[in-house]
Order: sequence, then C-alpha cells, then structure tokens
Amino acid sequence: MPIKKDKNIKRVGIFVCECGPNIKNALNMEEVVSFAAGLESVVLAKQFSLLCSDTGKNLIKQEIIKQKLNRVVIAACSPREHEITFRKVAQEAGLNPYLVQIANIREHCAWVIKDKDKATQKAKSIIRAALQRVLLHEPLEIKKIDCSPDVLVIGAGMAGMEAALTAAQKGRKVYLVENSPSIGGRTVRCEKIPPKLECASCILEPKMASILHSNNIQLLTYAEIEEALGYFGNYIIKIRKKARSIDMKACIGCGACYEACPVKVKNEYNEGLNERAAIHVPYIGALPNVPVIDRENCLRFKGENCDACARSCPFNAVRFEEQDEILEIKVGSVILATGYDLFNPSRIAEYGYGKFDDVYTNMEFERILNSNGPTEGKIVLKNNKAPNSIAIINCVGSRSREYNNYCSVVCCQQALMFTSMIKEQLPNTKVTNIYSDMCLSGKGSQEFYDQVRGKAVFIHTASPDKTRIRKNLQGKLEVRTASLLGLEKSFDADMVILMTGIVPNKYAAKVAGIFGLCRDQNGFFSEENTKLAPTTTAIKGVLIAGRCQGPKDIESSVAQGASAAGKVLSGLIQGEQIELEAMVAKINEDLCSGCKICVELCPYKAIDFDKEKKVSSVNAALCKGCGVCSSACPSGAIENKNFTPLEIFTEINNFNYE
Amino acid sequence: MNNFSPKITAFLCNWCSYAAADKAASAQKVFPDNMNIIRVMCSGMVDPQYVLAAFKKGADGVMILGCHPGDCHYREGNHKALRRYHLLGKMLAELGIAAERFKLEWVSASEADKFIKVITDMETTLKSLGPINK
Repeated sequence: MPIKKDKNIKRVGIFVCECGPNIKNALNMEEVVSFAAGLESVVLAKQFSLLCSDTGKNLIKQEIIKQKLNRVVIAACSPREHEITFRKVAQEAGLNPYLVQIANIREHCAWVIKDKDKATQKAKSIIRAALQRVLLHEPLEIKKIDCSPDVLVIGAGMAGMEAALTAAQKGRKVYLVENSPSIGGRTVRCEKIPPKLECASCILEPKMASILHSNNIQLLTYAEIEEALGYFGNYIIKIRKKARSIDMKACIGCGACYEACPVKVKNEYNEGLNERAAIHVPYIGALPNVPVIDRENCLRFKGENCDACARSCPFNAVRFEEQDEILEIKVGSVILATGYDLFNPSRIAEYGYGKFDDVYTNMEFERILNSNGPTEGKIVLKNNKAPNSIAIINCVGSRSREYNNYCSVVCCQQALMFTSMIKEQLPNTKVTNIYSDMCLSGKGSQEFYDQVRGKAVFIHTASPDKTRIRKNLQGKLEVRTASLLGLEKSFDADMVILMTGIVPNKYAAKVAGIFGLCRDQNGFFSEENTKLAPTTTAIKGVLIAGRCQGPKDIESSVAQGASAAGKVLSGLIQGEQIELEAMVAKINEDLCSGCKICVELCPYKAIDFDKEKKVSSVNAALCKGCGVCSSACPSGAIENKNFTPLEIFTEINNFNYE
Repeated sequence: MNNFSPKITAFLCNWCSYAAADKAASAQKVFPDNMNIIRVMCSGMVDPQYVLAAFKKGADGVMILGCHPGDCHYREGNHKALRRYHLLGKMLAELGIAAERFKLEWVSASEADKFIKVITDMETTLKSLGPINK
C-alpha cells in the first residue's frame, strides 16, 4: 500500500532496541522511551527486544506503513553493524533509505558507561541528537547511468594478456593495446621460467594464439594511448596506431623482406647482442608474425630510393605510404598492465658494465640462453669460447640506499635458474653466486634453491654494494667482494651476470598523467589498498595489474590480471546501468565563487570547473563522498549529502552539554 | 575538581577510529561519561567550524580522530585534516582556548587500546585544565 507523504509534516518513529540484555540492563529503558516519545515530531517511540531479528524488522516495517512514518531513528548498536540492515527495512516499507538515522546507544553508551543513571542520560542525549539530525535528512536518489561494458587493456605482457582473455566474454569487447610490435612482454623472450624451469614459449604460445584468435579481443600492436577523457563507465580513449608500413592482412610472415633489407642495426629485442634489418620481426617466433619497418633506420625514410623489401615481398604487403592512425574508442574501464623496465647497471661504475666485455645483464643472459637468441642458446663469451667460470651478482640496483631500496622479488629465482641452466649446459664451469639475502617467495622456490645450492658456490655478503669488478693484469675479469664476516674475497671469472632489479616503466609517468593516477615513492602505480584492493586505484574504472604496480612474480602478475578483469566483469554488465553513490558532494552554484580550491583537493578528480558558468561541478560517477571539498569550501557552497554542514551542526548542538 | 567531568566532543572517521571505538566498546572498556561522538565519513570532512561550534556549545575539549597517514580510506583526507589542525590550533590560541583542549590523533580500526588511551589522556588533561569557561 503506498503511503501518502506530506513533505512538510515530519512523522518520526523512534525504535529503541534492548539488544537482549545488552542495552536493556544498562539503562532505564522506560525513561529513555518516554523521553523519546516526547520529542519533536515523534509520533511513535517503541522498545523491542531485538530490532535486527526478523520480527524486529517486520515490526519496523509495519509501523512505518501504519503510522505513515517519514523519518526513523533506530536507537541500537553501531551504524557500522546494522545501518545497512535498517536502511533496507525502510526501503522495503517504501521509505527512502537515507531517512533513517542510527543512534548508537550500545557502543557509545550502554557498554561503556557503567553508571546506570549516567548511561540513561547519555542515551537520551544521543537519541535527541539523532532525531534532530534525521529531521533534516533529505531523501537521496540512487542515480543510474548508462555505461559501456567494453574494456581497454594497455600492455600485452603476462598480466595484460590474462586480463584481456578473462575479460573477453560474450558481449564485451576488449581492446588490447601494445606499444611494441609483438605481444608476450619480456617473459616470452626468456627460455625458461623458474622454479619449475618450464619452457616459456611452450606455455605462452597457446595463450598468445587465443588472443590473436579471440573474436572479442581487438589487438592493436605498435600503438600507444594519446588521451583519455571521461570517467568510470564512459571513457573515450584516443589511440595512436603507429604506421607499421606492412599490410597485416596480406603479409604471411615469410621473412623474405628482412633478408633483402640492406640495413643492419643493433637488435634491441636481443638486448643489442646481434643485429637486425630495418624491416624486421622483433625476434623469431614473435606474434603477430608480421614485420615492421623501423622508419628511423630505413634508407627509404632517410631519403634514399631503396625498395628492396617491397620488391622481395611475394605478397605485395609493404606499405611505405602508410600513415599513423588515430583511433577513438569508447570503453567503460581501463586495465593498465604497462609493465616495467630493468635497472641500468652502468649507473654503478664499480660493475664495469658497458666497459668490459662479457659483463651481461640478466635480460641479456636470458637472450643468450634462448634457443632463438643471438647465440641460439649456447653460452659463449664474446670470443666464442665457452666460459670456465661465471659470477652472478645479485641485487644490482636493488635493496640499496643509493639506488632502489626495495627488493625486486624475482631476481634470486632467476639467478638460481641461470645457475641450474649453466651447469646443465657446461657441467665443468664454475658458477659463483654473490648474494646478500635469498628472496624465495612463491611456491616451489625454496625447494628449487635446495636443489641448486650444491651445484655452485654461494657467497653471502653483508650488502650487495660491496662487490666490485675490474680487469686484472692478465686481462681477466676479477670479482672482489666481502663475505658476511667481512673477509675480503677475490676471484677471476670469464663472465659476469648482473641481476638488475625491476624499475618503473619509462612510460609510467606519461600513462599516470593521462589517467590521473598516483605513483608510489618508487614510481610504480599506486593501488587503492595494498592488501585489500591491490588492483583498483583511486580512479574508479582504472585498474592496474602486473609489474607496473611493483615487482612481483609471474603468478602474481597473472592473478592480478585476472582479478582486474574480474572487477570489470562484475562492475560493468552489458545492458545494465551502474548505480552511483548517493552520499556525494553537491555544489550550490549560486554560492560557488569559482576559486577552484575543491578541484585541487579532490583525490578522485571528481570535480570539474565549468569555464562558462565559472563554477565547480561534481561528477557523481566519480565522487566517493569523503567530504574533503565541503569542509574546505570558503563559500560554504558544497555539502555532502547525508553529511551536510547543517546536519552535523545540528548533531553537535543537540547533544547534552549540561 | 575531582567531580568535574569534562565534556568532550569527538569527531570519528567512519573507517578507522569509529571502528576502533566500536571495538573498544565490545571489549567492555570504559569511555569518559561526557563524551559526544560524531561520526564523519573522513577526518578530512571536519570543517574547522564544527570544532568551533562544539566549543561554543560548551565542550571542554574537542578531538578529531582519523586513520593513520597512508591508511586513509579516501587516500589523503587525514593529511588535509592535519593541515587544518595546525592552523586551527593557532586560531584557537588567539581566542584564548588552550592548545591542549583540541587534539588530532590517528587511531586505526584495530587500535581499540589506543582509542581508550587517547580519550582518557584527553579527559585527564581536561580535568587538570578545568572547565573551559573558568
């Protein structure tokens, strides 16, 4: 039965809960209830044994309807416990849920004031303040807006691919944008993955193939994000699709073109260890298997009249005339999986990286180990001979006061894997690991360490920055370090591998700027909460996954990718509108002076400045109702719904200060 | 002076300090008799005028309790509260209200004991200062 509501006449019901003996025994209930009954606008004050029980809830519902109540005070336990319960009860009785106020007479009174008389007076004070407050409450509308269920995933490494595949469900389009010409991230350029030493390409290729063949994923390689406008549910993203100079549909990846190309430059995909042509696929097995013309080095783009690749192509797929293309897409949410970079070891002069031959980074050594790499997997020195001794130096740039103070999590396991793979290929080569602590998080890694430990020498140093490399008189690399007890040690090594740590991607600042994200003190993207909300960010609808959030192992990256996609799947459903937070800030345009203080303060970028009207306005889709703007507004133009200044002043003034 | 029960108005943020108070209460701790608790969504929501209103109404002391820096549910509302706290403290001193009568403390949801400590410390301080009007 619909109830008649006369907005001007307030009809309040006060329900006082006994909470079993909890409240009943601590207060003089009769006195409290009769006090409540005598308050302004109160048409009903009732005591009940347990309001949160089904009987209690039904009683409230019936009274709301019978007495035509348009405001309700529940004097009971903490609002943190049952505010939602009683709001729901009100809603079921046809009353706007925000017209309910909780008077917390259990936690703030019955339980904590031991004198019965004092507790009774206190309860009365709390109820009066709640009543006066609820009289001011306005019914709040839970707004709904249309949204796009589609998703943009940026970065096609481990986390991004998992996110894209998980999100690519029926009726939901996923745009997967990758900056480089191929997908798979750094992992696919490794030979094996610790601790089980699984073949990286074997486990990744099926996954990459599902991406390429998915009907719901539109893969855009060699592309980057230019601009993002909008908010959760409704983003408009501009993407620059760089000119690949190849017709991806016509090309079959036969490789005739790069054999014909006369240019030779360092191959960055092999960490500069060999050369590639100007027209190239990043590495053998890269997907999609379509070359790209590196226009910086291509003779034709330097003004010469070369068309060797075009002439060699049996399918006429080369497109010199292709231009960069700007695409505009509409999505509801964005998952950032933009990955990481590795610490540049030439910053630490003592390691001699870049100065001495045969001093490699971990990524370079991954390529040396790779059967498709520059040495086809053979561990050789620059002079093509097999090394008799290899030193592995851990924590390069990590856990250091001077460089990065954090641990990169994955390098210890990678060093153990290197040790194991070197011993397998060159059983007589001596391997020495210099480490200061073994970080062995993750399933199976301690067992892996136990397995590898006996195969190599492990030198435990007090700190990674105690190690130096120089060339001795015989021209050999000499590694000098100090053991945990401070004993100086030095030995020769034919090859040195520097285990460089994970650092934020060079594009992290740019991406953070585009989406308005915060970064942590180390430059990684900031999550909403490290423990409870590791994939969401302060910006609703922008999620993060993988190493762009911080160093982590592959399984964590994959889990985070799936988790981010899960948030998208449950947050935006095709054909359904999204419900917005009702208790948001509201700006009174007549009072706003246009000072923009609120715009700067809002942590969610939910306040925009309307340049024409010269006033601020709140985007209810982004506002979370923290109220930081309302308390800072010098004109008193902003109020937080359900926590308006007037409501709070009234609460302050109606407590008993006798 | 022993009979003086100071009136404290405390603004508690919904996510941390209000939860700590609930926890302290369920552990059957004792609160000061004359404490009025006002729930706010965030310590950053507390307008300095609320503090002035509480003093005007007759509070002997006012407290703002928020999440620890770095733990704010709304990222950094507590930092904003801190900035205002320092300014407001100076202003209160100009008005003749002793600095000790106004306190900002960080209390996480798990810190029931800290909650009890900061409120009883405040009560003790106010007892030694005496009622605000005198």
